[in-house]
Amino acid sequence: MEKMSRVTTALGSSAINGRTMFCHLDAPANAISVCRDASQVVVAGRNIFKIYALEEDQFVEKLNLRVGRKPSLNFSCADVMWHQMEENLLATAATNGAVVTWNLGKPSRNKQDQLFTEHKRTVNKVCFHPTEVYMLLSGSQDGFMKCFDLRKKESVSTFSGQSESVRDVQFSMKDYFTFAASFENGNVQLWDIRRPDRYERMFTAHTGPVFCCDWHPDDRGWLATGGRDKMVKVWDMTTNRAKEIFCVQTIASVARVKWRPEKKFHLATCSMMVDHNIYVWDVRRPFIPFATFEEHKDVTTGIVWRHQHDPHFLLSGSKDSTLYQHMFKDATRPVDKANPEGLCFGLFGDLAFAAKESLISSDSNRKPYPGGDRRYPIFFFKKPDQTEQFAHVSSALSVFETDLDSNCMDWFVKTAQLYLLCGKPFAELCDHNAKVARELKRPQVSTTWTMLRIMFSDPANLTPGPNHPLSKLGTLPLMNSFNMKEMNSGMGAESRLERSKGESRQDNSHLEPGNSLISNNNEDNEETEGSEGQAEYMFGDAELDDDDLYSMEHDNQTEEQEYTLPQEAFQLRHEIMDNPSAPEHLQQDKADSPHVSGNEAEVTCLTPIESFSLISISQPLFTPQLPASFFCPIVREMLSYYAEKGDVQMAVSVLIVLGERIRKEIDDLTQEHWYTYIDLLQRFELWNGPMR
Amino acid sequence: MSIQYEDPTLAGSYDVVGSFPKSFGYGAEEQDLEENCSTSADKPRILLMGLRRSGKSSIQKVVFHKMSPNETLFLESTNKIYKDDISSSSFVNFQIWDFPGQVDFLDPTFDSEMIFKGTGALIFVIDAQDDYVEALERLHLTVSRAYKVNPDINFEVFIHKVDGLSDDHKIETQRDIHQRANDELADANLEKLHLSLYLTSIYDHSIFEAFSKVVQKLLPQLPTLENLLNIFISHSGIEKAFLFDVVSKIYIATDSSPVDMQSYELCCDMIDVVIDVSCIYGLMQDGSGCAYDKESSAIIRLNNSTVLYLKEVTKFLALVCILREESFERKGLIEYNFHCFRKAIHEVFEVGNLPQGGRSSSNNLTGLTYAGAHNGSAV
Repeated sequence: MEKMSRVTTALGSSAINGRTMFCHLDAPANAISVCRDASQVVVAGRNIFKIYALEEDQFVEKLNLRVGRKPSLNFSCADVMWHQMEENLLATAATNGAVVTWNLGKPSRNKQDQLFTEHKRTVNKVCFHPTEVYMLLSGSQDGFMKCFDLRKKESVSTFSGQSESVRDVQFSMKDYFTFAASFENGNVQLWDIRRPDRYERMFTAHTGPVFCCDWHPDDRGWLATGGRDKMVKVWDMTTNRAKEIFCVQTIASVARVKWRPEKKFHLATCSMMVDHNIYVWDVRRPFIPFATFEEHKDVTTGIVWRHQHDPHFLLSGSKDSTLYQHMFKDATRPVDKANPEGLCFGLFGDLAFAAKESLISSDSNRKPYPGGDRRYPIFFFKKPDQTEQFAHVSSALSVFETDLDSNCMDWFVKTAQLYLLCGKPFAELCDHNAKVARELKRPQVSTTWTMLRIMFSDPANLTPGPNHPLSKLGTLPLMNSFNMKEMNSGMGAESRLERSKGESRQDNSHLEPGNSLISNNNEDNEETEGSEGQAEYMFGDAELDDDDLYSMEHDNQTEEQEYTLPQEAFQLRHEIMDNPSAPEHLQQDKADSPHVSGNEAEVTCLTPIESFSLISISQPLFTPQLPASFFCPIVREMLSYYAEKGDVQMAVSVLIVLGERIRKEIDDLTQEHWYTYIDLLQRFELWNGPMR
Repeated sequence: MSIQYEDPTLAGSYDVVGSFPKSFGYGAEEQDLEENCSTSADKPRILLMGLRRSGKSSIQKVVFHKMSPNETLFLESTNKIYKDDISSSSFVNFQIWDFPGQVDFLDPTFDSEMIFKGTGALIFVIDAQDDYVEALERLHLTVSRAYKVNPDINFEVFIHKVDGLSDDHKIETQRDIHQRANDELADANLEKLHLSLYLTSIYDHSIFEAFSKVVQKLLPQLPTLENLLNIFISHSGIEKAFLFDVVSKIYIATDSSPVDMQSYELCCDMIDVVIDVSCIYGLMQDGSGCAYDKESSAIIRLNNSTVLYLKEVTKFLALVCILREESFERKGLIEYNFHCFRKAIHEVFEVGNLPQGGRSSSNNLTGLTYAGAHNGSAV
């Protein structure tokens, strides 16, 4: 491999080794730079200017360049750069606008070589030409860039960006004459060093200041920029118009960006505020950092790769007054902590689930997804070095489709076709319909039919059929009511009485103001006062206990709410315009009143509360002695439940099958609502039973 | 169309806003600094121009009169040149001229000579949410005409109302406007004329930042101020320092580290808090007294172990710093350094106000070295 050989030659026989290590500086660092052979690093800041030697397992202070009894402002550095050709040559940018060069070969203690005080404001950046020994470039807050020839006393050319402060200047690695400059107003300019009057090219790269830029070390066309808008962008400059080819969104404004040597798509960034970490990104995977160094306690101000051909060591200086050498293998890999599983619902109830392949492959039942298994594209080829690739990211995506039958209206059509609603004895109808429902895999409906048969059939026939799936009782309202009753009956008869009385009174009072008018209209309505009335309210009571869980005050309003909401859903589905709340009241009222007056048999059984309590204590509730209409309120509730669930079919079917047994329980308006089932049948062109 | 000039000294012009008394509650006795400044006639002017309904008056009201951005919805469109002299309440020694959108340059009564001669900066406002082709034509016409009269004007273009645009769209708009405007200038052989573009919105602090930059360009003392701030913060362990014009919340200088929007907003909010509290509870019953005077200072400790520190510098300027709690333990040092800093700033502006061409940078540097010596000894 050609590249590898180059690396080894570059590194020579003494391959760099070392470990993650740090040392304390006396003051916050603003910038760092390494010399070419990666043996020394210079740290510069407002109150520090030192050279450290990089040894095997520690930093050793070699030289303090900040000398003199009272250091001048020229020592207050905003930036520093070590010449990559000349080992003894350093340049610093001072906050007072001076550009200073330092010659380490000087015998005296003060190594200051040359001083250029041409900039009016702080110099933000200095940059040596990568191949030309005497050429130095500076970029300043005053909006000018100056090119210095170190053999001369003053600058040889001045470039006016004409667009505010210069934040960074970088010579191109490959084009001898080109340099890039980034500005506080979001622009990036390309200049030809020979032509100081006008930039070659300019484009707006970021909203807000562009703090840094870096040329790709290998690819001549690529320029990475980072700005206050928290983005790192990679631009392809070879085209006519600078094209953004990658964009990484970070969490804080980007202060520095440095391409990682020998890794085409990797770059390191650190931020200016808030975030102290150093991130190494793979620009092709912009959503999660490839690696993170989390050692610094304060904002990282300078990052540099230790050697220009070695991707394993990163040096960084920080405002927390430390200098770190990071080993790449010690870096945190955020991808390891990322949750590799994802779960999402589709619009039609489909469920997509992505997980690591290893987890899913064990599941042999998995059917291949029609569109083929969609896996993450893997752009990392297997390489021997595990640390140099992202965590194995291949994962499998499973899509669980909801049972289509439950989604489309097939079951509806089939049920409509197969249900028998009349023409046979009641019990048979129920059994038949239960069977139909069971075959269509609707156990709840099936059980309901069975229950209906049990409730309303002749008591003598009451032997649970062999196929009676009591264990899987799914009719929720039914169950609830039963449970409630059992519980209530378990309570002492006295307390039961107290409660029922209290609540029935409450009930009365709440029904009265709203419904007196309606009750008058009802021709069936008779006296509802007296002991019979109280007995009647027992049922209401059983229901209301349930409601009391939600609201003790059980006033008109809560009741309305309770019914309005589901009714709306119901309405929407079937597109009927009607006022939902009024009929519900009506229904409540009617359901109560005719019940008392209409059915004599029931009254005899239920009138005295005490007797009821006795019954409920001494024997199970489904005693054959109980008349069918005992269950009417429950059935009514159940029908409402189905209707609210959107299953009008069930409600109507039951209504028809039960016929007179239940009809008067439910007011006409509601029944009319439910009979929109007929409209639906028309829509499906099912001209059968119920249509008649 | 004839153009009327409105007398800026009419107190009534401020009643439109009603949020700030004209003199901002400064005592009349405190006129040591800006007393001897030049008369208003030759003050550098900032002109606000642009098509009608592009947001010029809103900018002016929000930045200089503390109007809440939402209230600007109800501003009537301006129909005459509105000359607003803010120098009596603000450090910024400028007149803001708010031109109505429909100024006709060809009108003989439009005295372009008079208008552009003493102008420091011309701000042209472009509504980014609108089609800006017409605005660009207008821009070209305006700047080329102004350039002929006075080539020293800074031409600033505010791409305004960008709050509704996405980030990409913002950049694209800026790029497009830059491209078209400069192409047109190149066609007219005006390559030397330079336009600076800013993305602004009155609903965040971008308008303040843009105005800060416009004002900073007109300040000959800026490098000195920046340097002083640099020295001050590096010797006091301060992270970031702004020199604010208290009325407008424009920062006229900051140290050379990059401005972070959050810090800037934080400092703006601090000024608001201090001035508001002072205005409400600090003034006498009859409205006399000062909302902001020599004694004004404030310290706010934040829950992220940073401290906000505000100090009066001159009667229009305040220094607002952000520093860490640890650094604030050396409060005495900071106060001593501030004392030196304040003295240096006063000297800088006194030099600037010397009648005979005292604005040269060499004179300013004396103030700087003086300050430098003081600060050095404080450490």
